[in-house]
This record gives sequence, C-alpha cells and structure tokens, in this order.
Amino acid sequence: MTTLRLRGGRVIDPTGTAADAVRDLGVRDGQVVALATGAPVDEDIDASGCIVMAGGIDMHTHIGGGKVNLARTLMVDGQRDGVNPFALPTNPLEMPSCGGCAPGTLATGYRYVEMGYTAAFEPAMVAGNARHAHMEMGDVPILDHGAYVMLGNDELFLQMLHEGGAAGSNFEQIRDYVGWTIRATKAMGVKVVNPGGISAFKFNQRRLNVDENHVHWQVTPRQVVHTLARAVRELGVPHPLHIHGSNLGVAGNIESTLETIRALEGLPAHLTHVQFHAYGSEGPKKFSSAALQLAEAVNANPHVSIDVGQIMFGQTVTASGDTMRQYAQSGLASPRKWIGADIELDAGCGVVPFRYREQSYVNALQWAIGLEIFLSVTNPWQVVLTTDHPNGGPFTSYPHLIRLLMDRGFREEQLAKLHPDVAAHSALRSIKRELTLAEIAVMTRAAPARLLGLHDRGHLREGAAADIAVYREDADREAMFTMPEYVFKDGTLVARAGRITAVPVGGTHFVEPGYDTAIEKVLRRHTEAHGLPRFDHVVIGHDELCRCCNGGRLLPTACFETEAR
Amino acid sequence: MSALESSAGAPAPPWTCPFCPLLCDTFGVDTAAGAWALRGSDCHRAQAALARFGAAAPSAAPQIDGSVCDLDAAVAAAARILAASRQPLFGGLGTDVAGARALYPLASRTGAICDAASGPVLWHGLRALQDRGGFTTTLAEVRTRADLIVCLGALPIERFPEFLRRCGVGEGSAAQVVVVQSAAESDPASAPAGIEILRFEGDLFDAAAMLAAQVAGRAVGAPDGPFAALAARLHAARYAVLVYETPRLPAHGALFVEAVNRVVATLNVRSRAAALPLGGIDGASTVNAVFTWLSGLPLRTRAAPGGLEHEPLRFDAQHLLDDHAVDALLWIASYGTEPAPPAVDLPRIVLGHPSFAAAAQGPATVFIPVSTPGIGSAGHLFRTDGVVLMPLSSIRDDGLPGVAEVLGRITRELGA
Repeated sequence: MTTLRLRGGRVIDPTGTAADAVRDLGVRDGQVVALATGAPVDEDIDASGCIVMAGGIDMHTHIGGGKVNLARTLMVDGQRDGVNPFALPTNPLEMPSCGGCAPGTLATGYRYVEMGYTAAFEPAMVAGNARHAHMEMGDVPILDHGAYVMLGNDELFLQMLHEGGAAGSNFEQIRDYVGWTIRATKAMGVKVVNPGGISAFKFNQRRLNVDENHVHWQVTPRQVVHTLARAVRELGVPHPLHIHGSNLGVAGNIESTLETIRALEGLPAHLTHVQFHAYGSEGPKKFSSAALQLAEAVNANPHVSIDVGQIMFGQTVTASGDTMRQYAQSGLASPRKWIGADIELDAGCGVVPFRYREQSYVNALQWAIGLEIFLSVTNPWQVVLTTDHPNGGPFTSYPHLIRLLMDRGFREEQLAKLHPDVAAHSALRSIKRELTLAEIAVMTRAAPARLLGLHDRGHLREGAAADIAVYREDADREAMFTMPEYVFKDGTLVARAGRITAVPVGGTHFVEPGYDTAIEKVLRRHTEAHGLPRFDHVVIGHDELCRCCNGGRLLPTACFETEAR
Repeated sequence: MSALESSAGAPAPPWTCPFCPLLCDTFGVDTAAGAWALRGSDCHRAQAALARFGAAAPSAAPQIDGSVCDLDAAVAAAARILAASRQPLFGGLGTDVAGARALYPLASRTGAICDAASGPVLWHGLRALQDRGGFTTTLAEVRTRADLIVCLGALPIERFPEFLRRCGVGEGSAAQVVVVQSAAESDPASAPAGIEILRFEGDLFDAAAMLAAQVAGRAVGAPDGPFAALAARLHAARYAVLVYETPRLPAHGALFVEAVNRVVATLNVRSRAAALPLGGIDGASTVNAVFTWLSGLPLRTRAAPGGLEHEPLRFDAQHLLDDHAVDALLWIASYGTEPAPPAVDLPRIVLGHPSFAAAAQGPATVFIPVSTPGIGSAGHLFRTDGVVLMPLSSIRDDGLPGVAEVLGRITRELGA
C-alpha cells in the first residue's frame, strides 16, 4: 500500500463540491482518497503555489493507425529538428522518437505526459485496420487510450440502410451490426466521417450534401447520421455518435452542419472539429465565419457536444478518413504531395500536408473561427479542447491555445499579426470573455471524461483514479500548462518538471455492447462474398487485444441500460 | 464457406498463410501426414514454404561457432558481439510485429542500422510515396469494385499465386485483366482464359512513361498504338486498378512507381482508379511499419550520437557490407523463405528458421533457431496493401523461442 499527500495546492475540480479550493489531496494505491489530517504517508509533496487538476484527456487526437503511419511516412523530411536530426533522449527511460507534426508513438506518449495529459483517444479507427490502431496505441507509453470505430461508409451498413427503406424496417439488424463492430474491434465509440461520402467517392461522386442521395445506395447522409446516432444510443454506448460532418472545409458548410444537428432529432451526438464545419460564404472572398450560428445551435441543443479542431499556424499534416474532401483539398497541399486510399469496403483515408499561414485570409479566419466557437458556447461541458491533432496543429500547441482562451490581451496581440482583413473585421475582436481555470479543467478533463462515460477519470473526487497534473501557478498560462511540476498516472509519478520519471504501459478503454448474435450469419456471408478477412479473423479477443496493447490493462467501460435492450 | 474449402471436404481451420503478403486465410494445412500439405489451395509458394516444416522439418539447437550450446550461452555470446561492435547492422528482418517491437529497443541501445533483406525493393515504393504521394486500394475493393485490372510488368501469379482468386477473377468478378509486359517476356504460365496481354518493346520505364503520357492526353506514340487503346479503356473504366510487383522492379524502380501514380492521379480527375503494389515480402513492410510508428522514421535509420539519422541511400545493407562500414551483423530470418544470412567476414548473430543452420556455421557466428510466426507461434503481419494487419495463428508449437523473446533477452543481457 503506498500513500501520497499533495499538500496545500489549489485544487481545481469542477465536478466536486469544492470546485476551486486550496486543500490537500490524498492518494492511496492509485486512487484519490480522503486522508486524515496528519496521517502518515509514504510521500508528502508540497503543492503550495500550484494548481492541481485531474490528468488531461484528449478525446480527439490522431495518435495511431494506418493514416497516422502514412502521415509519418509522407512527412519524413519534417522529422528533423531544423536541419539536424532529432537528438537522442538524454533520459534513459525514453527511447528515441521524432516529434515532428506526425510524431512517433513513443514521442507522442512522452510529450503528452510532460504536458499533464494522461489519456488520449484515436477518433478514426478503420474496422479493417483495428489491430494496427491498437498496436500503435499500445506503443504510446504511459497514456491510457481508446478509439472510435468508423461506420457509415462501409458498404454493408449502406446496403442495409438501403434495404430498410425510408421506414428503416431493418433498424434492429443495423443496430446489431453496429454493436458487433464495436465489440469485434474493441472500440470505445462510433465515429461517422462525411456520412456516406467516403463510399460515394469510390463510386466517383464528388460531393454529398446532407439531403443528397449516395449515387449507388440511394441513401442520404441524414439517414446515415440518424440511424447511427440511434443505434449507438440504443446499444447503451456512453459516448454518443462522434460526427465528422459533411462538406468539411467548404465555404458555406454551416448549412450542412446545422442540418446534421437537425438530423439527430434530439438524439445525443458529438460534433468533432467543428471549426472546419462552421464556414459561411459571405463577404468579398465568399468565405466567412459562421461561428456564432454554430454556437447558437450548440447552446440551443444541450444533447450536442463539440470539439473545436483549432488551427495553429505552421507546418502540419492532415490525416483524415474523408477521402472525398481530402481529394478535393489535395491541390492545396504544402508541400505538394498527398496520399489517398480506398479501404476494404469499409472506409478510406487521405493524408494532405498543410502549412497554415498567418497572412492567408482563409487560414487567419479559420484561426479566429475556432477561438470564436470556444468563447461563444455558453456551457463549457459541451466543448472539448482539441486541435484535431495533427490536422489543425500538433497537440503540443495546447498550452498556447489555452493562453489564447484565458488571456484576452495575448489573444488580441496574436490577432493583430494576421491577415489585415481578419485582424480588422473578425468578430473575435469584440469577444471579451476569458476562460477560467475551472472552465479549462472542464474542457480538457471533466467534459471529455463525462462524454466518454469514464466515471473514475477527469475529476479528483474520492475514488477517482489518481491521474493528476500539478502545475506551478504562473500568470503566463502557456508557460504554466507547458510543464507541470508533477504528473501522476494511477498514482505513479510519471513526469517531474518536464522529465519522464516512469513509463508504465497505458490501459485500453473499450465498450462491449450486447447484440443479437443472429447478425453474425450475415457477416460471415458478407466477408466470404467480398474476399474480406474471414469473420473469425475480424474479431479481436481480450487476449489478443492485450498483446496488441503491449500488455496494458484492459479497461472496459460499462454500457448503460436502455429501453431497447 | 468458399468453393475451395468445400471441395476439400472439410472446413479449413482459421489459419493465415504467412508466406506471401497476400496473407490468405481461406485455406488450411493438413498436418496428419508426415509432410504437411495444403488443403484448399494449390498455391505453389505456400507448398514450397511448408515443405520446411512438419515431419520433414530440420531440427536445430543454438550454436556458437558451429558448436551446439544452450540458449543462455547463445544469448550471452550474441550480447558480447553487440557490446563489442561500434556499428552493427541488423539485416534480413524476417519477423512480425512482435519481433519488430522487440528489435527497436535493441537497435536504439546499440545504434544499429536496420535494413530488410528486400530493402532496395521496399525503397522504390517508399521513395515514390515520399516524393509525390500516391493513391492505393485494397484487395476487397479490387474484388468488389474493379472493372479493369492492369498488371504492369507481368501477371503476378508466380510470386503471388493466389492473386487472381483474391481479386475474384474467375469467381464472378466482371473485371477485365490486362497484362502489360515486355515483348521479351514469355506468356504467363497457367493463366486463366480471358486475360489479355499487351506487349511493349523497350524497358518498363519507357512503357510506364508512355502510358502515363497517353492517359494524360499528350500527343506521344502512335494514336492507334496499344497504349492509346489502353489509355482510353482506363478512362472509360468505372474503377481501374494498376497492379505491379515491387520485387520485379529494377534499379531506380521509384521512377516506375511515380509513373504509375501519375496514371492514377490523372484518371482520378474524372473517374476512379487506384494502384495496388504487391510487395513487402518476408515481414519487410511489417517491420518498416513498426519502426515508423515507434520512431516516426522508416527503416534505414540509426540512433547515432548526433540524433536519429535517416539515410535511405547510405544505409542500404548491401552497400554497408560491401564497403565494410559495419563491424557486426544481426540477421533475422524466421520464415525460412528469406535469403540466407550473407557469408561475410564479420561477427554474425543469426536468428533464423532451423534450415539456416548450415548457412550460419563458421567462426564468430551465433545461431539461434527461432519459431516461425504463423507456424510455430502466433503473430501479426501486414498484408500487401498495408491496411489489414492479419493475425497469424500457430499450427503446432515448435518448441522454439520467438524472435521477440530472443531479442528481449539479448537486450536485457546488454543492459546488465
């Protein structure tokens, strides 16, 4: 039994009764506990002058799987520190790994942990690539991890949706298929990317609006979204459907985004990287901010949550399942090269390098739109802080982003450096709001934990897993959030002032919803008819998951009871 | 159950054949007889590989300088070789994900340069991808969607005997298969009926460049020439797939791959097309994928004092050996289908299939027989399309340690 007391820190836990209080925090055997004042402990750490928060949780970050490895391969020239190779670590606990815009899994783990993050979720796991995704996540040291499996562009789903007709007569069968897929791939949730659009691109369709028919299956994105959201809900999966909407990056796409919210008809859902989906088509350049319209919709729909996908200036690489939109944007690639793939009747991927420039009108406006969204949604529990790593920018820019949100003067300084039309006319100029530490704690810890159904993470109440970040109080929030004094993972000190101190293997979060096994017959026929890996080879069992994930703990999250089950 | 399985009388166990990157899982192995036999397929490549196993399999014990020893002694000797080396080379790399995961810490610890036996071939594709990108597809997409499959260079059934069946050709697929090959090449043996052959004079590079130019609508070649007709058919296809075998590519093969990618890119402006390279043999692409995700850089990288150095040209294993630029060799060949460990005048550590024992004799050589993923132990390999990571199951415990276990022990021995 090991005990620890963090003494006299300012504990920010928006879920607790004392949301912001200077107090002691006790830990026993990896869990937050109430320790009697003066009770002897194995370790006593003076946290006075420090901010104590739960470990950060990134619920949308491309950290592992096929497209991430393609991004690394494509960006090989960027895997350097200026003109030199990345230096070898001086810390014997670390193995060498590059930290460019598409970092190695090892560097991913080290850098996240050094910033006080303790969990990260890969949002776009292709079912046919699930083992690979789990392997990569297993090779991200220290962090707990999980993934959302992509559905809604697989031919079987679209065929079923087509066969069910407008009445959705075979909904139960589709729900069973969704349940089976989540279980087979050991996913934490379901993501839909450009609903129906990835498949439509394989049939040479180049755009797909929310009420437009898929050229082959004659179903609409509206049907795809609604059906999947309902299936995920009825399966009792805690994380609602994770939606990367239609028309990513297209001027005027706010209409699609609002229609997608309407398509939910009150079902819960999470709209991801909404910055890329909040564009109007006004003004001389036919490209404008629709952040306020989006924020109004989010404020009016409490069942909807979002993450932002803030862009950051500089070189990055975008890795997405959205082949249709990545193809359309590939002409903007910088450097001029890109990788695409049609994948296994299941999904697709597009990897396009991007350089976001301050003097580009579009990029500057994208930057402002992201911040406007953060600052215009009233309830922080509906907003999660992301850059859609690496698509909007690398996760290592989070401390900078936090400062932009917490420090109006700093924000305006940055705004003034941008393309003059944006600097002069952006609605961001008139937004006075500065987020509080409590709001940041919600957006980076508590809200993602709640949205994922992780009851013992994202907070510091008694019984919580002792994933803790201790930051030295600093008016410069960027400096403060860059390097916590202490980071604990399940009670183990894993980083001390920017240096990794232990490298435990992280655990794997997943859900195992129930479903009617009659669906398996359909799936066996489908895999055989189309030359897919045999049915038995699709399913990842617990033992194999454990091997994939390097022997880390398996962390099944309970599904909730629903009327449908 | 597929027709092949049912014709064999009994369902095949869920086995994945590890001997080519198609990683077929629709046939099995009959282990009842002394020599193992394929059940449900006549793949000559799998049959040849399986002949190294079963009752006919050679047995082997670890050896140091040709003398039998126990595993502990072999591990200790291997660690001594690496400890004394100033610049080791890790070659062959015939292993799976677990082996690659165990290899990376050892390579980092020793500053070794890693390159696969098929490194030059692997680099044709990687280099083209890094310079210009590309657009690829996967086996089930080809089987379901393709209406025109163009095989550039040759019909790939010699190295990938199950290729046509995997594409559904002869099993109901409506795809037309066109083989574009040099006039100097003989016709493919045992090709099913209906496959067209288009011959060209000159080399593969010229042919690919000509095709790319004609697809792009440039006025080259004869307007009634064979490539003009093929270009028109590619444009007319709903989903065209361009297939090539990376092991067949000559020096500077990246230029050929670029030309193929140009054809695909041109077609995708108005219709749909994708490339399907066939390659990544003997675990090469799997080890490369693992190194890429761990470190951010592909093979041909080393943890040098100045940092993580990636040198795709300088770190070619054969060049390093020819130039005497390395002073120790660790060779991994767990499938038995890889090239034998090179006979070089260097201290050698060979982790290999027992059949490599004869090639791992001689002074300053440590030989450790290892289990074969998909035969003696479970494992994971990437399929040729780089998307599907197939699980391998063992047929029979061969009692040998896996590559990962041996590498882990060597790393621990070095650390002590």
